[in-house]
Amino acid sequence: MSAVIRVEGVSRWFGSVVAVSDVTFDVMPGITGLLGPNGAGKTTLLRMMTGLAAASRGSVTMFGQPVRDNPALYRRLGVMSEHETVYGFMQGREFVRMMGRLRGVADLDAAVDRAIAFVDLADAQHRPMDTYSRGMRQRMRLAATLVHDPEVLILDEPLNGADPRQRVHFKRLLQQLAGEGRTIVLSSHILEEVEQLADTVLLIVNGKLAASGGFRAIRAALNQRPYHVRVLCDAPRQLAAEVVRLRSVDAVHVDPDGAVIVLSKNVLDLQIELPRLAQSSRIRLRRVEPLDDSLESVFGYLVEQ
Amino acid sequence: MGSVYRLTLRQLTGKWRLAIMTVLAALPVTIAMIMLASSDAPSVGEFEAAILSAMLSGSIAPLVVLAIAAAAFGNEIEDKTLANLTLAPIPRWQIALPKLLATITIAAPFIAASAFATSHVAFLGDARATMAVTVSALVGVALYASAFVWLGLVSAQAIGIGLLYIVLWEGFFSGFVSGVRLLSIRHYAIALMHGLDDRRFAASHHLSFGIAIALSGLVFGGFLLLSVRRLRRMDVP
Repeated sequence: MSAVIRVEGVSRWFGSVVAVSDVTFDVMPGITGLLGPNGAGKTTLLRMMTGLAAASRGSVTMFGQPVRDNPALYRRLGVMSEHETVYGFMQGREFVRMMGRLRGVADLDAAVDRAIAFVDLADAQHRPMDTYSRGMRQRMRLAATLVHDPEVLILDEPLNGADPRQRVHFKRLLQQLAGEGRTIVLSSHILEEVEQLADTVLLIVNGKLAASGGFRAIRAALNQRPYHVRVLCDAPRQLAAEVVRLRSVDAVHVDPDGAVIVLSKNVLDLQIELPRLAQSSRIRLRRVEPLDDSLESVFGYLVEQ
Repeated sequence: MGSVYRLTLRQLTGKWRLAIMTVLAALPVTIAMIMLASSDAPSVGEFEAAILSAMLSGSIAPLVVLAIAAAAFGNEIEDKTLANLTLAPIPRWQIALPKLLATITIAAPFIAASAFATSHVAFLGDARATMAVTVSALVGVALYASAFVWLGLVSAQAIGIGLLYIVLWEGFFSGFVSGVRLLSIRHYAIALMHGLDDRRFAASHHLSFGIAIALSGLVFGGFLLLSVRRLRRMDVP
């Protein structure tokens, strides 16, 4: 099967700042998640994939055609940017209708009805959009993105600002769209979000493609990552001496403030062994916390690999 | 094109903007009436230089147009809604042209009414002179609109740059540097006015009627093409 979107050696820099550096990948039908911390270059990459921004180097093609300065391609592409601004003075239906007309939709009223029904906003379609909640605006924007029935959808942080109920609804919609054979690329900085939705994950860190593939491969790489765990207890030196003997522990040291810092590549085992050890040694644990569990540190680890 | 045109009309017709334009458009008529009511009434030449050239064509028309045209693309770039249009499968001229036409649609009635009322009062209902002033003012609106719509597309400081242009180029340099008049929208409008009613207005010393028409076409088309080119090449936020 040939790639729907092909990104080849793409770089983008702004002055001396490199936002995206020599990224190459193919996108196939189904849901592809573009994952990375804030500022990683996801939006810049997506903008180049939609033709909204030019690549400083490299090329992006869709269905074998260049995306830049190729308006005809937008008949087959729907884009929902990260910006949530809408024409607040317009009714939701008016907005979707205008987007449909701009995209040359033939049976406009039927297409508008279908798109609005799909996002379940028929009741609110005649209200001005500046009266909508953030989640409603996102869904109406999705309706406008879908009104011309595009084969490819590029969605930048589509779940931003949605409450948990809306997230569930949105995810169901995206899975339904992917099930219809569409190619969907969505970006997120939330690991679990992408895990639940995407068949393939592209991990972007510092403008580079850090990893790509199925989510299991990414997860496996994450699970091998060494974690620093900070332990507060009533006998730090005794705990340090005993915890270093555990198989799940790779290194230990005691901070000047009395905290025991444990380095482990097997946190799951450490979670079981540490309380047992404390109990048998009569050491009272006051606090156990991961030191580097931020998404940035996870991504940083993967980049170093 | 109709969708972009209607959208732009709705975007640009805010109450405050229309109120400011009304006040600006009323100025030439008011001042013309004051001048004519005074015991020392001006000659046609003095009236033309002070009210029709310096005030209407050189200040009021470009200011009114700037207030609208700079926002035609500028607001969409600022609030990041321009991608809704540029991601449509339509040629870029079908975005730039309706934006320009919407700008002219909003500004033209104000300037036309101002020019019509001012010349009607000043020339005591002389239809040909009134028509010459009104038509030349409308051509000025179209030319300024084309230039300022492009400016709003290329710079976030379009209002500031536009004001500098109006004050320095149209107001100051074109007043005494004859070469600058070849590149001055204000002087194109005045030359057209002279050509349309050579009975009332003395022939322009600087630009002939034909050259003014040709240069007007070049400016209007040139800036429209620049806007289209910019839309094709810019990074859309």
